[in-house]
Order: sequence, then C-alpha cells, then structure tokens
Amino acid sequence: MSARLFPVVRALTFVALALVACAIVFQLAGYPSAGMFAAIAEGAFLAPHAIVHTIRWAMPLFITALGVLVAFRCGYFNIGAQGQFYAGAITAGLVADALHAGPPVLVIPLVLAAGIAGGALWALWPGLLRVLSGTDEVITTLMGNFIATLALAYVASGPLKDGSGSGEVAAARPVAEGFRLSTSSGVSFSLAAIVIVVGLLMWLLVDRTAFGVLGSLAGRNPVMVVWQGARSGRIAIGAFLFSGSLAGLAGALELLGPSGRLLSGFAPTLGFGAILIALVAGLSVSAAAVASIFFGGLAAASLYLPVIAGFPAAAIDIINAAITLLITARAWPAKLTVRAWPAMLRRRTATTP
Amino acid sequence: MARHAAPPDGDNTMIAAIAAILQSATPLIYVALGGMIAARAGIWNLGLEGLMIAGACAAVVGTKQSDSAGVGIACAVVVCVLGSILLWFVIEKLRANPVIAGLGISGLGLGGTDLAIQAIYGNEGSVHAPLSLPQLGAGAGAFAGCSVLVVAMPFVVAALWVVLRRTRFGLQLSACGEHPFAARSVGVDPVRMRLVALAIGGVLCAFGGAELALGRLQIFSVGMTAGRGYMAFAAVVFGAMDPIGSAAAATFFSLVEYLGIKGQLVFGNIAPPELILSLPYIATVLGVWISSRLRGGAAALSELREY
Repeated sequence: MSARLFPVVRALTFVALALVACAIVFQLAGYPSAGMFAAIAEGAFLAPHAIVHTIRWAMPLFITALGVLVAFRCGYFNIGAQGQFYAGAITAGLVADALHAGPPVLVIPLVLAAGIAGGALWALWPGLLRVLSGTDEVITTLMGNFIATLALAYVASGPLKDGSGSGEVAAARPVAEGFRLSTSSGVSFSLAAIVIVVGLLMWLLVDRTAFGVLGSLAGRNPVMVVWQGARSGRIAIGAFLFSGSLAGLAGALELLGPSGRLLSGFAPTLGFGAILIALVAGLSVSAAAVASIFFGGLAAASLYLPVIAGFPAAAIDIINAAITLLITARAWPAKLTVRAWPAMLRRRTATTP
Repeated sequence: MARHAAPPDGDNTMIAAIAAILQSATPLIYVALGGMIAARAGIWNLGLEGLMIAGACAAVVGTKQSDSAGVGIACAVVVCVLGSILLWFVIEKLRANPVIAGLGISGLGLGGTDLAIQAIYGNEGSVHAPLSLPQLGAGAGAFAGCSVLVVAMPFVVAALWVVLRRTRFGLQLSACGEHPFAARSVGVDPVRMRLVALAIGGVLCAFGGAELALGRLQIFSVGMTAGRGYMAFAAVVFGAMDPIGSAAAATFFSLVEYLGIKGQLVFGNIAPPELILSLPYIATVLGVWISSRLRGGAAALSELREY
C-alpha cells in the first residue's frame, strides 16, 4: 500500500467502525438500523433532489473545512469555525443591507469581502491572544462561537429585523433579489464556481507556498521551525486569518445563496461538521472535497429523516459524534497512523494553563 | 420599566439573590469540579457538555420511571461514569486526541439524549419529572428551594480540596498530569489514574446534570445545557485547576449571568438581552486571558517542553 493511500484507508476504517457502532446503538434504541441507514442513503443521494441538497450542504462545509484544515495544519486548534461563519454572515448582512440599492456587480464582491473580513476579525483576536499571551485558543475560539451566535440573534432580531414577518423567528430583512447567488435550493453555477476556485486557491496555498509549507512544518515540529528562524507568530496569525476568512466567506455565501437573509442560529452544526471533515480528510485539501460530499449527504439526510422517513434527526448527530470520537485514534492498526499529523493532534496531556 | 427605588427590605432581597445565584451556580460547579479532576490528571475534558446533559436526561428519565429521585441520581451516575470510561478508553487505549474525542463525547451526549427521549417517549422535545430532588423546605427561609445537592456542594468542594491537596492520592493525580514520566517512575500508572479521575469526574457531572434538571425545574429538554458544560470547562482553566478556584470561577459566571438578568430588569431595553447573555462567555475569555497573562512566561515554556 502506498503512503498516499494510508490516510484514506485509515479514514474509511474509522468511519466504517463508527457506522457499525451507531448501527448497534440504533438497534438497541429500538430503531431498525438497516432501515435507518437505507433512509439516510435515500436522503443523501437516492431520493429525488437529494443530490441537490447534498451539494447545497457540501459547499459551505467544504469552504469552512478548508479554513479549519489550514489552522490545524499549522498546529492551532481553531474550533471556532461556527462563530467565524456567523461573524462573516453578520458583516456580509450589514453591508448587503446598507447597500441594498447598489448595483449587484459592485455590491456582491463587497458583501463577500465583508464576510471574509468579518470572519477573519473573529479569528484574529483568539490568534492575537494566543501569540501575545499564550492564551489557549481552544477556549477562546469555543467562547467566540457562543458570543457570535448571540450576536447573530441580536442582529437578526434587532437592527436588521424584518418588520413584515410574524416576528416569531428572529429573521432579518431579506437581501435584495439581485444580490442572490442562488435560489433557496442553494445550488447554482456561480456558487459552485466560487467554491471550486477557493478550493484550488487553498490547495495552492497549502501545497505550493512558503506559508503553507512552513505552517505545516510548524504544526509538526514548532521548535524546529523556530530554531530555523521562521517567525512562528506570523505563521500563527496567518493561520488564524486564513481560517477565519474562509469561514466568513462561507457565511457570506450562505447569506447570498440558500438563506437569502440572516436567520438566528442558521446552519448550527456547520462548524462542527467542518472540523470533522478536516480530520476525516487527514488535513488534505483534495480529500476534504470528497469528505464534504459525504458529510453534506449526512446533513441533507438529517433534514430528510424526520420529515419523510419518520426517524429522529438525532441519528445523524450520533453518527457524526461517533466518527469524531474515533477519527483521531492512533492505536491499531499501527500502519494506519498518520505520522505527518500536527503535533497538537498527537499531544496527549493537557498543557498546564 | 421604571427604575427601582431602594428595595423595601434590602437584606431579604440580598439573601434571596444569594440563594438564586447559589442554585444556578451549583450545576456548573459540580461539572467544573469534574473537569478539574480530569485536568489535574492530564486530560482536558471537553466532553463535559455531553456528560452533563446525559446526567440531566438520565436523572429525569430514572425519576419518571421509578418515582424516586434517588433512582434518578443513580441512573445519572451510571450513565455519566460509563460515558467517562468511554472517553478514557478512546483517549488512553485508542490514543485519540483528547480535545477532539471530548467534542465527540459532547456530540454523543447531545444527540444521544435527543434520540433516547424520542425512543422512550415518542416525538417530544422535553420530559417532565414527577418530583424534584429533596429540598430544604420552608424552615430554611430564602434557601427553602435549595436541593440536597446545593447543600452538599460546599462540602464536596472542601473534600476535594483536602483530597487533591493533602493526600497521597491527590498528589499522585497531579503528578500524572504535570509530569507523567515522573509519576510512572515512582510506580504510579498515569493511565489508570486518569481512569479514576475521569470516573470521579463522571459522578460529579451526574450530580451537575441532576441538579440542573431536577433542582428547580423538574424538566429535561433537548439541548438544555446550552453550553454550560463548555462554560464549566472554561471555569476549570479560569480557576487554575484548583477545586476552590474552579468553584469560584463557576460561581462568578453565574453571578455575571444573574447580574445581567437583573440589569435587564432595571435598564429595560437599553441593553439588548443577547449582550447580557453573552457576558459569561466574555467573562470567560477575559478570565482565561488574565490567567494566561499572569502565568505567561511559564506557560509558554512548559508548552515548548512538551514537544
């Protein structure tokens, strides 16, 4: 088996193991697990329009996962993708609302840039705290998620509130029809083009630039790159900025694409899914594209299960959680461990705060 | 709403406020103590959120099925200890990354309780328990609504302080976190000590979840922890992995939340409720930042040494 295939086989092994564990759990909970998995496959790929829903979720997951992947490669535990996604959506929404009468050709790039800036800013402060004070980014980015979730609820129900609706759900005014990149299906040529371009750019960044290579080295062995004269602080800030901007871009695309307006708590499991995709993909950009389709399918199925098949959507959460639990395992079979993973994923003991 | 003038009897409102803060802080304190023990043994337990909600769910389901709060707490303890052992197995035996595995446990708790409620009671988002934990009763004045777990909390904190700071076991536990190699060299098995630490943490998370669901509300609803487990994790770090420190940090978060709600009553719509609800999270970030500033140089060094 070639070295390139190890991570693939490893990821598939763990996903399969997690699915078997889930099948046992579903059976014990009194649900027919064969029927459950058949319904998930239907909801993800087989039912009419299922593939559209799958791609709709795969696209934002892929972009956000690329951000997580960059941070993880550089050795930083940015688990705040959800918050950065919301921050990007908020700034994009504010710009789209302020410029609602502008020409779409100008406004759409501005809105996307605002989303990128918002996400980057929301990742910058944990990055700065980490570099300047050694504050652990696991906690700061995690808390950032909660703060951004509340900020979105505030913006959607406060400054941008849609006066025409029933007022039950905190929803902002819809963005102007001309700015939309897709219908509510969330799949369109322009969205797909943006996602593909971003994917290629990130592949170049990770594999073909000094930042990407140095960052990956820093992730594997931070002491070595410092001794070799690399400025680890700059790499760290770069990792956080790229990570946040991608999540923010996903937020802006969600706003201009499927959602069409800011909604309190929309796409609530996107950040978690993105972390999962980055890890299942072994922090590789091309593998992340494939993994995004799989987890996009699961996301599509979680909407399909309760409505059409009559199974609880929590089944998908459990599958995702079971994969999360196992995906970083490095025990057996020994050949399948990924030696190139960042040191932080191998670090076993807690750092003394 | 008009601003309050001086309340008619200041002492009583003060005592009522203390009772309210104590009650809302207790679940957080128990869970933070559970995370604190794991952190001392060298595992950052991000599964606290999942363990807490699993404890809350098991406590309510157990109480509802048996009509006894004691059985409910026992169910919660069993479920949380099993969850902790699963986390230990994945981290220590399968050698997974603790942070990611912890997030997995949290996801399992949140999704698993959702599935369990739907499997047992059909399509419902919440379950009522027929009775709450035993409470102090009318004789206790403002503290009448405090459950046994609230009363036991200070003693648990004190006992943990003694055990962790003044006994051989406690020092061995800290050694496993601070310098596993040194611990092993004097015959202490860090892997086994972490199992003990996570199991004790599971019991404490069960108490936290049971108090959350059965203390004042007598209800379990899907996702009711709403990030309290993660907040408890932050309290562990803010409290410098010390029993009293962690409990104080958890109390502080509850105090901020309480003051936020009170402030909203006083100032009405001037401050948006979302800002007030985010105060504990902002306080957490500030707390962690300050604690890392205070230990700045040492922390940076110790981290480099690990690689």
